[in-house]
Amino acid sequence: MTDSAILELRSVSKSFAATAALRDMSLAILPGEIHAIVGENGAGKSTLIKIMTGVHQPDSGQILVEGQPVTLRSTQEAQTAGIAAIYQEPMVFPDLNVAENIFISNRGKGAFMRWADLYRDAEALVVPLGVTLDVRRAAAGLTLAEQQTVEIARALSLKVKVLIMDEPTASLSAHEVARLLAIARALKDQGVAVIYISHRLDEIFKIADRVTVIRDGQHISTRPIGEVTETGMVRDMVGRAIDSFAMKTAANPVGEVALSVSGLGREGVFSGVNFDLAKGEVLCLAGLVGARRTDVGLALFGIAPATQGTIVLHGTSLTIGSARAAMDLGIAYVSEDRRKLGLAMSLPIFANISLASLRKLMGLFGLIDRRAESDMAEGYRKQLDIRSPDTLIEVGKLSGGNQQKVMLAKWLETNPTVLIFDEPTRGIDVGAKAEVHGIIRTLAAKGVAIIVISSDLPEVLALADRVLVMREGRQAGLLGIAEATQERVIALAAGTGERVAA
Amino acid sequence: MKRLMSSTSPQTLRLVALFLALLATVLFFSTQIDGYLSGRMFNRIATSAAVVLPIAVGQAIVVMTRNIDLSAGSTLGVVAYITGQTLGTMPDLHPALVVLMAMGFGAAAGAINGILIAFGRVPSIIVTLGTLALFRSFLVEYSNATTITTASLPVWLVDLPQKVLFSLGPLEMRLTVVLALAVCVIVGLALSRLRVARRFLAVGSNPDAVQMAGINSAWVVFVAFVLSGALAGLSGFIFLAKFGNITVVAGLGFELKSIAAVVVGGVSIMGGSGSILGVLMGTVLVDTIDNSLTRWDLVSEFWRDALLGMLIMAAVTVDTLASRSLTRLRGRSGGGQ
Repeated sequence: MTDSAILELRSVSKSFAATAALRDMSLAILPGEIHAIVGENGAGKSTLIKIMTGVHQPDSGQILVEGQPVTLRSTQEAQTAGIAAIYQEPMVFPDLNVAENIFISNRGKGAFMRWADLYRDAEALVVPLGVTLDVRRAAAGLTLAEQQTVEIARALSLKVKVLIMDEPTASLSAHEVARLLAIARALKDQGVAVIYISHRLDEIFKIADRVTVIRDGQHISTRPIGEVTETGMVRDMVGRAIDSFAMKTAANPVGEVALSVSGLGREGVFSGVNFDLAKGEVLCLAGLVGARRTDVGLALFGIAPATQGTIVLHGTSLTIGSARAAMDLGIAYVSEDRRKLGLAMSLPIFANISLASLRKLMGLFGLIDRRAESDMAEGYRKQLDIRSPDTLIEVGKLSGGNQQKVMLAKWLETNPTVLIFDEPTRGIDVGAKAEVHGIIRTLAAKGVAIIVISSDLPEVLALADRVLVMREGRQAGLLGIAEATQERVIALAAGTGERVAA
Repeated sequence: MKRLMSSTSPQTLRLVALFLALLATVLFFSTQIDGYLSGRMFNRIATSAAVVLPIAVGQAIVVMTRNIDLSAGSTLGVVAYITGQTLGTMPDLHPALVVLMAMGFGAAAGAINGILIAFGRVPSIIVTLGTLALFRSFLVEYSNATTITTASLPVWLVDLPQKVLFSLGPLEMRLTVVLALAVCVIVGLALSRLRVARRFLAVGSNPDAVQMAGINSAWVVFVAFVLSGALAGLSGFIFLAKFGNITVVAGLGFELKSIAAVVVGGVSIMGGSGSILGVLMGTVLVDTIDNSLTRWDLVSEFWRDALLGMLIMAAVTVDTLASRSLTRLRGRSGGGQ
């Protein structure tokens, strides 16, 4: 079987300083298969990809392409060998046009740019992918899904034999995911081996031929998809059983209304959002990417204030004009983009946690009480189980799940009464996801009113007491958890369930 | 208007705006200065802009890669001096060889920057701030504070700035102007047509993505600085020809001038975009203002630097505001799909 492998790793090991990222990893990828690789964050998936794409070189072991041992010293050499990757955050050049982006890695097309040929060739690659994309436009402003299409076309232009997709669907909407999966299948039919890495297990069951589980840098299992069950896979991944995807069937008992919103809107962005949120209740905002759910969150947090409708918080009608005002009112916003909006990556954990509540920590002459600050941070490290030896480590060095916890700690310290989560588990692994869900449930049990914006439907159904579905900037429906099913939510979000009462 | 705004590319809009600004400047000064709209003034500005143009084009290449070259002015000074000195001892060198030599000296200086920035991974603003001072001090030390004078230069060089290739009425096309324009044409064509040259834009557009795309970004940045040095060297040669007298302060402030020309010309200071046509217009605008201020009685010429500074800030501010409102405009009209 390994004789026919297009790409094979034999006993590959890789260490960084004292940490072993990969240990004795062996893996064979067959032509024309979709091979899923799953594992928790930190299991060694990224290192594995980087070794296969020539970014890192193994300390020991062999890489074979079509049975021949190779050394991949750079991305370029990996591309020449027929291996390319697309990433969760696509790597496009915003100032260059789509066609040039597609052919940026191509060599041997002559020294001069022949733009007409370039556009024609680019279209020839893009059209079979079933996507409408103007190859002449600049890549700036493309949606994530479109950027991925560009990257896939780029890989195809290199005539890849192995295409690695690293978390490609993490930020895509449902129909974009469907399209990406279709593209992956089309590649498979062309004989390309697709290595598919995702935290979304449902996708893996839809698409993969074989699944490899890795944990702690080691190969745990490789099985045909038919022999794999979800619980078995998760058990292999975390080394223990996790029951995090249990659906919620009945709403939590809730207290008095904390936040009441009616006719909320922002000129040209969204409108007509109505809901009451009680203390201890979890309201999930579901919908496709671009349904303007985040804008509702940003309006409530005062970053992009609402221009229509009323907000009643704890019985008082008010307007929220800035993030500072929202924070003073006890509203916190845990953002989707940890890098851009949430965390200062180069600052240590403690400084990030105290950032939103420095006023409380001010001592004599308005100076920060360093000891109180570090005690507070240490408390959260233990309480939320942030995996790091102390709070002096730069946040940028933590895994996604731990970064999420740091961000959460920052907002918990402000003692919010209304907490808005935007995609709280995007790009974090199964284990950390379960922990974040646990934290959200605990907070709700303590009486915090919670809004969760999520594109991950199983997550919505696991957390929500009520589900508010948005479509194109309007409220498409508000469902109690008992009546919310995957099908109904998707129907509302995609606009096929027009008759469901809003 | 809105429709026009969303259908034209920002680059084109930029060039149109620059052209209007240039027109407005010329019209304004023609009301202020006697005999402003004359062949003499055109020739004065053209020869003066010819000195700045190569250095600005080099600066543009560097800025496109999301770097900056603050040492360009010092490089110009060093090259002008060394070239002048060499000609003093070897006056029979072939002119083409002299130009190549000047560019070679500049390229060597650029290579020093390039090695430290591309391979040493030191931020370009720090490296070139250092070499800005270092090259200048080297010049002071090396020249022993002596001056190159016209008397020591061969006749062909002294006569070079007056050499006219052809005339359109009172407007003369002088050799140095044509030389500078040739640089624009070559680099401009390369940046739009040459596959390798497109990498300057790619590196500046998304430095993280270039590695993944299999492009050796260190090498690209290195080459950008070598080119910037070589073009500063060419400016040094034209400077030497134009002024004849080279002191230790030769080229002082040219880094400011070149950066002004580049950002006014619409090259994004964040890298990744810009056109050489824009740089050409930016250079002409900056130099027109510069030259006109010297002749304007109302304002002291010592304001010229302040004005350059304001131009840089205004250009970047307008750019930021314009691109922001343009994005908003397009987002609303559904152009994002």
